[in-house]
Amino acid sequence: MEMVRAIIRPEKEKDVLKALEENGFVSVTKMHIFGRGKQKGIRVGEVVYDELPKLELMIVVQKEDANKVCDIIQENAVTGHIGDGKIFVIPVSKVYTVRTGAEGL
Amino acid sequence: MESKFEENVVEIIAVIRRHKIQETKDALDREGFSQMTFYSVHGRGRQKGRGGLANELDPGLNLINNKTDNVADNDFNFLPKRMISLAVMENDADKVIKILIQVNKTGHYGDGKIFVLPVRLVERIRTAEEGLYAIR
Repeated sequence: MEMVRAIIRPEKEKDVLKALEENGFVSVTKMHIFGRGKQKGIRVGEVVYDELPKLELMIVVQKEDANKVCDIIQENAVTGHIGDGKIFVIPVSKVYTVRTGAEGL
Repeated sequence: MESKFEENVVEIIAVIRRHKIQETKDALDREGFSQMTFYSVHGRGRQKGRGGLANELDPGLNLINNKTDNVADNDFNFLPKRMISLAVMENDADKVIKILIQVNKTGHYGDGKIFVLPVRLVERIRTAEEGLYAIR
């Protein structure tokens, strides 16, 4: 299994979640975070904004679905400007469901 | 994956109910796993965020659950959850998972998930120790 952690624009949340749901990836954890990227934030005149609000989505899927999830997120979170975010894919060795105690997604 | 450790370290990420945090902390403390990071997150599972019996277990969710009655089936909503993350030795992982399941199990939908992720390097910032010494 693999964990897909995507940092996206908060205003793209609805689009991305809708697309994921239509493709059958309903389970998502989301958290509101602050970050900056390679461009060191946004400079407006003298002022530098380097703690930009972003949304992080955390989705754990079977290994063969990871690329599909990445594509869906990319297609729906893109605006073409810097600050669209990043997607990280991390290996997950085990998953347990607390309600049953059983292993597996 | 190449590891710097003699034994592997794993990160355990658990998404659990909000009101189970204190019990979870106490139970892990008793077994000597006091290190952890807390996150306040929103999440949903296969039930698309419908709380099920969540409102009986967590009265604060009544507001959200009542709202769910009026929305269409394909609409989605998120339930407030707590996420905890702790790094432990791989041979302690089963013990921690057992504690987490034992404490957080209510038998209803929404109890949460536990993820186990391999970790390649741990470094303690205060002393720059790496590997086993950093998480002991």
